Order: sequence, then structure tokens, then C-alpha cells
Amino acid sequence: MKSLTIALLSLASAALYAADSPAVGSAAPDFSLPDTGGKTHSLSDYKGKYVVLEWFNPECPFVKKHYGSGNMQKLQGEYTSKGVVWLTIDSNAPGAEGNISPEQAQKVMKSWNTKQTSLLLDPEGKAGRSYGARNTPHMFVINPEGKIVYEGAIDSKATPNPDDIANSTNYVKVALDESMSGKPVSNSNTRPYGCSVKYK
Amino acid sequence: MISKHMNARRFLALSFLLATAAVGEGQLYQGKQLVEASAVVNVSTVVSGEPFLAGVRLKMAPGWHTYWKYPGDAGIPTDIKWQMPEGWRAGDIQWPLPLKLQEPGDIQIYGYHDEVLLIQQITPPKNVSGDSVKLAAKVSWLVCEKICIPGDATLGLPLPVASSNSPANTELFTRFQKLLPQSPAADFSAAWSRDSSGLLLTVTSSVLAKSSAVEFFPSPAENVAVGHPQLQSREGDHLVFRVPMEGANRDSLPGLIVFGEGENRRAWEIAATQQSAFAAHASPFHELARFLFFGFVGGFILNLMPCVLPVISLKIFGFVQQAGQSRGRILRSGLAFIAGIFAWFLGLALVLVLVKSAGGQPVWAAQFTNPYFVLIMSAVVLVFALNLFGVFEINLPQWISRRAVAAESAHGNAGSFFQGVFATILATPCTAPFLGTALGFAFTQSAAVILLMFAAIAAGMSAPYLILSAQPAWLKFLPKPGEWMMRVKQLMGFLLIATLLFLLSVLGAQRGVAALIWTCCFLLILSVACWMKGAFITPLASARARAVTLLLMLLFVLGGGWYFIGKKFVTASSVAASPAAANGWQPFTPDRLASELQQGHAVFIDFTAEWCITCKFNESTVLETEAVRSAFSQRQIVKLKADWTNGDPAVTKMLKQFGRPGVPLYVLYPGGAAQPYVFPELLTKNIVLQKLETVNHPIVSQ
Repeated sequence: MKSLTIALLSLASAALYAADSPAVGSAAPDFSLPDTGGKTHSLSDYKGKYVVLEWFNPECPFVKKHYGSGNMQKLQGEYTSKGVVWLTIDSNAPGAEGNISPEQAQKVMKSWNTKQTSLLLDPEGKAGRSYGARNTPHMFVINPEGKIVYEGAIDSKATPNPDDIANSTNYVKVALDESMSGKPVSNSNTRPYGCSVKYK
Repeated sequence: MISKHMNARRFLALSFLLATAAVGEGQLYQGKQLVEASAVVNVSTVVSGEPFLAGVRLKMAPGWHTYWKYPGDAGIPTDIKWQMPEGWRAGDIQWPLPLKLQEPGDIQIYGYHDEVLLIQQITPPKNVSGDSVKLAAKVSWLVCEKICIPGDATLGLPLPVASSNSPANTELFTRFQKLLPQSPAADFSAAWSRDSSGLLLTVTSSVLAKSSAVEFFPSPAENVAVGHPQLQSREGDHLVFRVPMEGANRDSLPGLIVFGEGENRRAWEIAATQQSAFAAHASPFHELARFLFFGFVGGFILNLMPCVLPVISLKIFGFVQQAGQSRGRILRSGLAFIAGIFAWFLGLALVLVLVKSAGGQPVWAAQFTNPYFVLIMSAVVLVFALNLFGVFEINLPQWISRRAVAAESAHGNAGSFFQGVFATILATPCTAPFLGTALGFAFTQSAAVILLMFAAIAAGMSAPYLILSAQPAWLKFLPKPGEWMMRVKQLMGFLLIATLLFLLSVLGAQRGVAALIWTCCFLLILSVACWMKGAFITPLASARARAVTLLLMLLFVLGGGWYFIGKKFVTASSVAASPAAANGWQPFTPDRLASELQQGHAVFIDFTAEWCITCKFNESTVLETEAVRSAFSQRQIVKLKADWTNGDPAVTKMLKQFGRPGVPLYVLYPGGAAQPYVFPELLTKNIVLQKLETVNHPIVSQ
């Protein structure tokens, strides 16, 4: 009875929530985007798996903070090895900072030795807008039922300084660990930080 | 493009020129200076013990911006750390009014173009020795145009020390001090409320009425995510802003009300408050529509509440019985049931309007704080139960049948109507979560809005019945009537007896054991009267036998009522021992709360009542579990129980303070000056434990 009531309430609030990102707990919007090799990936391909979405801009100092220090690669490696699908998405418009061609993307992935499942290119910004992705990095964690269980920052220290990583709480890691062990995510919605996504 | 260098290079300050002159550093990017940073003070020399203002001045290249304390959807606020000798203190940064900037993709940021001065008050100690002192500001910022570049600088600020001084850099300081948020005009008022999707801020001031553009700039705490504030409605000097926000754990936000244009832009500071009362006069159409929607959903949820369930089973049983009948007939009795629901809610609304206009304070479920109401309910439930057991049949008086449109459906329709009334009477103590919000709003509204609100609740509650009676095809999936129905009917009777036990336990808590016994005596007499009706008032009995039985029944019930209720029940001492200090709970009184808070203790208040099933449910599944109990004791949180079983006026007043029309209500005062936190009406262990974790361990008082 109680859970039914709560379900009804969250349904109602999901419908009413009018902010930019889909509410935590609601269904993650589907998308189809090409990766650097031209292969199309849809979110629906990964139903039944945990999916991490990471908004990306290789020139943004906040993205560099996490790649330059190896922090992002470590996280990607740890969770992809546990069966998590990690999709890095670049929604920056052509001509704007951070927009990359498939070739440039491959170069970036190689030079940083990234460990994500795929890097997807969204120059039209369609996927970015449907998620209300505002920052790079802006992180989403989606559970096997296709519900968003985390939305927000990568960690608790909103600075471009890599030295702060050691003393910060990685919200994505916490969300994945909690969710994968069957617990509700304790901090499911934080304020993302970073550069703005340069939309068309 | 990718391996582009963008490290910010800094110039060393050339020399220490004049003491108060700006000592600047530049941020270079691809040969272009993006930011020139310098530190300035508003005095010529430092005087021991005399506070002065120091400012960090950032000059941005055209088109580039740095950020406000809340950067918006992207960016990082500028950070300043003063390096000063021991004993020196720096105040908070005084942020000038920022610009709201829009980027593609609906990205909103708050920042500064061209130039900004971030002022802090510096207080030197009483005895500054030497004839000069060297301060330094370690500043870091993010500067963006289409791209973002972090920069930082350490700005040295050597200052002479003397016994007197004169102002310096006056033009610069006054220029930016004019842009600091001010305290609002005298006629300004602000009120916060929240719904499931965010916060509503209602502001009123005659000054705002004159300004063409009025905006709200939020400044939430770090890591708190908020959506874009929108001006939702504006009528004269009355504005409503909506701030989308997930999570129900905040009921206000600090921020700025920004108005005026160009040179005359001004900002008023709004601090976060605990006030979540609904503005009495603001009811723009959208708000009304939303609250009516909540009313509808709340009404629908009433169907799922434990106290209505027995009646639902009754009604569904009714549908089974009707499944073989004509569609029209099913629809008619469904509509009659719905009419019953509406009749009760609209009747309640009318009473509410009357009480309100008489100056009383109607409170949701308040009727359950009245023992006579509970007593009457007990009698009604018992009579219904006996009817289900087959002790007697209800045949409505002939005059009703005669007046009914269709003779054969009269019984069913009238019965359905009263079942509708009955279902809703039982539902009222379960304050469904949305209903609370909706009613909190309704109480401050006009009579018409209250009526509309209650109609919405009635509509919500009757929606499932309407669907089922309009789509009787779905009823065909229900099993065929037969012998089993008798058994089910009797089983339902026991459900009603369980309801009766609950009502009696309320009565016992309200008036004590003696009163409970007298009530049971009266109920026994009532049962006998019902049996007499079933046994002797049969269609075959002679008119005289019927009349005599009826007379005897009346005599029994009236006599029993007069003696057991009128004489005994009334005088039974209302011992009403408040549900004692069990499990570490202390009874709530306003004085107690005040004294605990004064001592700096964290306090949790459980607003509860014996007759509130939701409260009992929360208590047994959450508050009285081992985990929650030990969390309370570990953090030494004082647990107060505010018992509203008898409608204690002190508790009623507290409920009203939190904008709640009834129980349950759970409030945590985290201790110190922190604002109280209001929990949702349906608790989970997680919600409570998480919140308790934020309470600091108490500071041991000397």
C-alpha cells in the first residue's frame, strides 16, 4: 500500500517536474548516436545493463581535470569491467569549442587512453538537450530498468584543480555502488559543474 | 586544436609602488590578456582595530565573463583567500549584482562582464605593530567566453600602518557598493510554498509594480541543484516565481529579487526562511488548477488508505451483486455512490466555510478529536457489521421508495448514496500527502475555492467507481454471484468489527476505560435493537407486531443512549493519560520545545493521534525500529510526541505554523539556529536515517 502510494506520488511529480533535466527516477530518454567508427548506438540497445552517460568536451578545463589526472579513465575501467556500459557524449556544435570529428575523437581517446564503452558524437545536440545536459562533465547513471538513478556532478569538489580529486566524494561511483548492490542512491541529484555544453 | 595550449600565464607585479595602488596580475591566453586582477583597499593607511574594505578587482577582456557566487548552469564562482598575519580577519565576499547571461541550449549563467570588484571587510587586530603590513589575496577564477579558462593569482597588498587615515579609491568602491543587494523596501513581503515540482516564491511590493522586468536570482547552497526560476504570474505589485527543484527537503532558497534596468538595476536580498505558509491572497489560475489537481490525486489516494478499505470491499461486493443487472442500473447506482461522496465532501466544505466565517479554526480530521463523533461512528459501524452478519436487513422506509424514480432501483441507489457518504466519512483521518498541501492552501482561500477544492477531492475519490460503473464490461471478469457471497458478506462484517475496535481504542485513549465500557454497553443495547428488527419486523409480521417492536426498539436505544451515554459516559473522567514517555518519547509542550532548543539540543517532533492510522504505521515501521531508535539516541536528539488525539490547541497551533491541517507531521530541529526540517507524511527508514545523519553530535556544554 505504502509503496503504491509512493509510486503514485512520484509518477505525479515526474509529470509535473518542469526543470531542465528529466527527474531522477523517471525513464531515461532514448537516443541513437554514431560512435567514432560510425556505428550507431541506442540507449535501448543496453536495456538490462547499467549505463553511465558522460558529457564531454576535450578542451574544457574541468574535463581535463578528470582525464589529465587519470581519474575518469580509472572510473571507466573499473565499471566497464563490471559490465557497466559507459557512453561518453560530445554535444558541442560544429565550430564551437569541444566539437570533434570522428578522427579527432579517436586521437583524443588514444592520447588519453580512455576506457569508456564508446564515445558518441551528438553535434546537433539532440541527445544533450533531451537530457538537459548543461555541463562537461555532466553525469547520468541509468539502471537496468532504464530509469535515471543519478544526475549531476562527477564529484563533490567543483573546481578545475586536479589536486582536489583526492579529497572529493565521487558521486558517480557512490551512485553505481549503491545502485548495483540493490540500495537506493543516497545522493541522487547534485549540481553538475564544469564548462557549459556549447549547443548549436 | 586539441593539444592547444591554454595555460594561464601570469605577470609578476612590477614593483610595490604606492601602498594603495592596484597591484595587478594578468591572465594571458594565446597572447591575449583575458583578466587583469588587482587588489585595492578603501583607506590610505591601516589603523589598529579599525575595519576597512579590501576589494579584488577583475577586469575582463570584452565578451569574457567571470562568475557570481551561484554561477548558474555552468562555471565556478571566483574564490578569494586572504593571507594575513595572525589576528586579522576577513569577512564574506560582498557580491555585486550579476548579469544573467543566456547561452544556446537554454543554459543560464550568472556572471560579470568588463569589470567587477569583490569587496570584503578586513578587521585588523587592536595592536598592529610596525609601520607597514603585507596582506595577500590568493584569487582563483574561471573566465569564459565561448570557451572557459581557469586563472589564478596571488595579489600582494603592502599597506602602511598609521594612527589615522583618509579614504581612498572612493569612486571605485562606491560604484560597486551601489550594485550590492540591499534590504527590501518596507512594504516588501515574501512567502515560500512548495509543491512536488519545486518552490513557489510570492513577493509583494509597490516598488516592484513600477519596474517592467523583475527577476529572481537564486543562490542555493553548494551542490544544491535548482532549475531556472520563472516568473509565473504578475498582478500589480504581486509576483509569483517558480523555481523547479527536485527533492522535497527544502522549503525556501536564498536569493535576489532583481529589478530596474541599465544603470538603475537594483537587487533586494531574500534570506532563506522556514516560512512555508501559503500566501493568503495569491491564487492565480495556474496555481488553483494545480491545487485542484492535487486535490483530485489526493482524493484518489484516499481509496488506497487503510481506513477506507473495508468500505471499498463493500462496494466491490456491491458491484459483483450488480454485475448481472442492466448496464443502466449499474451506472445509476455507481452515480448514486459518487453522489454520496460528493454530498459528504461538499457538506464538509460548507461546514468549513461556515466555521471559517464564524472565526473558528477548522482542522482536517478534527471531527475525530471529538469523542461524540467517534461514538456515533462506532454505532454506525456496528450497525453495518450486524447487517452484514445477517442479523437484520435494511429496508428503507416506503416513502423513499415511492419518491424514487424507478421503484425497483430505489433501494440500490439510496443504499449506494449512503455507502458513498460512509466511505468518505471513514477516509477523513487519513490525510493523504497531497491532500494536506491542497487543504493547507484551501483554508486560506475564499468559500468558492474551498468548495471547488473539496469537489476536486470528491472527484478523485469517485473516479475509480465512475470508471467501473460506466464500463461494467470490466465487471464481467468478476466471479458469478452464489452461495459464497453470503460468506464473503459475513467476512466483511468482521472487517467492520475490526474498524469498530480501532474506533473504540481511539475513544478509550480519549476518555479512559470507564467511558469505553459505557460505550460498549450502549453498543450492546443497540445490537439487541438491531436483532429485534431482524427477528420481528418482517414482511409477514402483522402491522401491530411491527409497531410494538419498533416502539420497544426506540425505547431500548433512547433509554440506553440516555443512561449509558447521557449519564455515565459524560461523567466518566477523561483521564486521557497522554501516551506516556515510552521509548524515550517526551510529551510535547511549546515551553518544552523552546527550552530544548535554547539548550542547543536537536529536537524531533512526532505529531500524532490515536486515530491516525498513517501515524501508527509510520511509528511501527520507521520510528520505533531498532535502527531509527539507536540513531536518535546516538545523536542525542530529543524526541517529543505531540499528541493530537483530543485536539490539543497547542498542537493545533503548531500544525498551523507548519501549514498543515492535520497529522501526521514530522519535524526535525537540527539544533542551533538551523531551520526546522519537515519530513514527508509517509516516512521511510532511509529518509529518516539520512536526515538524522546531518545532525551534528551535540556540543558538550560547559
